[in-house]
Amino acid sequence: MAACRALVSRAVLPLHYHHVCRGVMLTHIREKKRWMKAYTLIMERKRKMEGPPPPKPRSQQPNFDYHAEVEAFSARLQESFSLELLKTAFVNVCYLRSEEERRRALGLDLETTTLNLKDNGELCVHGQQFTKAFLSDWCRGSFPSLPQEGVAAIVGHLTGSEVMCHVARNLAVEDLTMSAEFPVPDEILQGTFFAVIGALEQSSGSVRAGLFIRDFLVTQLIVKDLFDMWKVVDPMGLLVKELTCKGIALPEPRLIRSAGASTVLPLYFVGLYSDRKLLAQGPGETVLAAEEEAARVALRKLYGFTENRRPWDYTAPHEQLQKPSAQALTSE
Amino acid sequence: MTARGTPSRFLQSVLHNGVGRYVCQLKRISLIFSKKGQGSLGVRDFIEEGVVDFAKNNSGTVVYISPQSCRIPKIVAEYLNGNVKEETVTNKTSQEIAELITKLSNQSGLDIIRIRKPFHTDSPSIQGQWHPFTNRPLSIDPVGPQAK
Repeated sequence: MAACRALVSRAVLPLHYHHVCRGVMLTHIREKKRWMKAYTLIMERKRKMEGPPPPKPRSQQPNFDYHAEVEAFSARLQESFSLELLKTAFVNVCYLRSEEERRRALGLDLETTTLNLKDNGELCVHGQQFTKAFLSDWCRGSFPSLPQEGVAAIVGHLTGSEVMCHVARNLAVEDLTMSAEFPVPDEILQGTFFAVIGALEQSSGSVRAGLFIRDFLVTQLIVKDLFDMWKVVDPMGLLVKELTCKGIALPEPRLIRSAGASTVLPLYFVGLYSDRKLLAQGPGETVLAAEEEAARVALRKLYGFTENRRPWDYTAPHEQLQKPSAQALTSE
Repeated sequence: MTARGTPSRFLQSVLHNGVGRYVCQLKRISLIFSKKGQGSLGVRDFIEEGVVDFAKNNSGTVVYISPQSCRIPKIVAEYLNGNVKEETVTNKTSQEIAELITKLSNQSGLDIIRIRKPFHTDSPSIQGQWHPFTNRPLSIDPVGPQAK
């Protein structure tokens, strides 16, 4: 060590000595390295101090070719997008702004280096309108007795940022999105996905875009319950309104079964009878809770949103919503 | 180890794949190999013969070929749900690598761990799940044994 210190103090190291930091001097020898343990411990301490590295977007990691990825995106979904529209759909306004600021900060001349990219604002608005219209039509077609607030609640849930971002992340839209920050914020990702749908509609037409929305957004309804998406505060009042509109007698609640009334987990079944025929029955811990649950079960039956309803048929091309055309549409 | 000690999951698919349309879950596959090493011989043969056909048949997957100076050749597969799977292919033949790549392209990206049940259904009950009150006559009185 004294010899090493003498070497360091001379500030000229011979060939196989390498000064890493204050406690570690690397020597290039063939045998077991004496410096390895100290070096590893110092790197571990540094890593623990700094914490995990910030996530990097996939485009900045090795092996990423944007054009190939965009083509593969289009082929994977079995859709033929027009590539310029699709590439425009992925460019966000925040990305353009941050790029221009970066170029200005680097001192580049603005005239020669203007970005030739258009952002996806129009496509996003277009896609959003199309998606909402398509989903509302679909809802009204498959649940004809569902009222307007119910349809709006379902469409709002499906086009809300949770569901859209979940679908977008699992379709690799996040890899291709060009945005200022990483990880891409939810609203920007949702906007990009709307823009992709808009680009699809403009490239392949509304039928194909409708099939795309059906295959990726409508499937997200599969295990969902109606009242998870539509917050109804007073189900009994809504049920009374529905029945008066239909002209059926108003529901009378009756206690059907009870068990364990004096225990810590009582169970009551309340049935709703209209004109002495059972509409629905529901369980609950108190009689009031059971009545509310029975009203919800009755509403689900009325609107046709029960758990055991016939699943939507995804094999047939959706002729119910469009006029059945003479040409045969290939089924998806 | 035991079933409780190792992770497990239920049978599921990513985004209900297959209900609407089938989307190939493999998005990117990178072949990392060395130009001269003997462990990468199989990979080099596969690149000469089979990789172009694979890329043509799976147009939804991007194939990256990266020759680097590495001792162990690897295949890195990235899936749509974000999982990344790395397989070392040292000293494998071209045929074995082709089979491995078809296996990777047929997988969904979900973890290969114990699947608790080999079945899954979204509508477990058509006529309504049985509970102890089904098929009992209605009564307000507390529950007791039924008179036959």
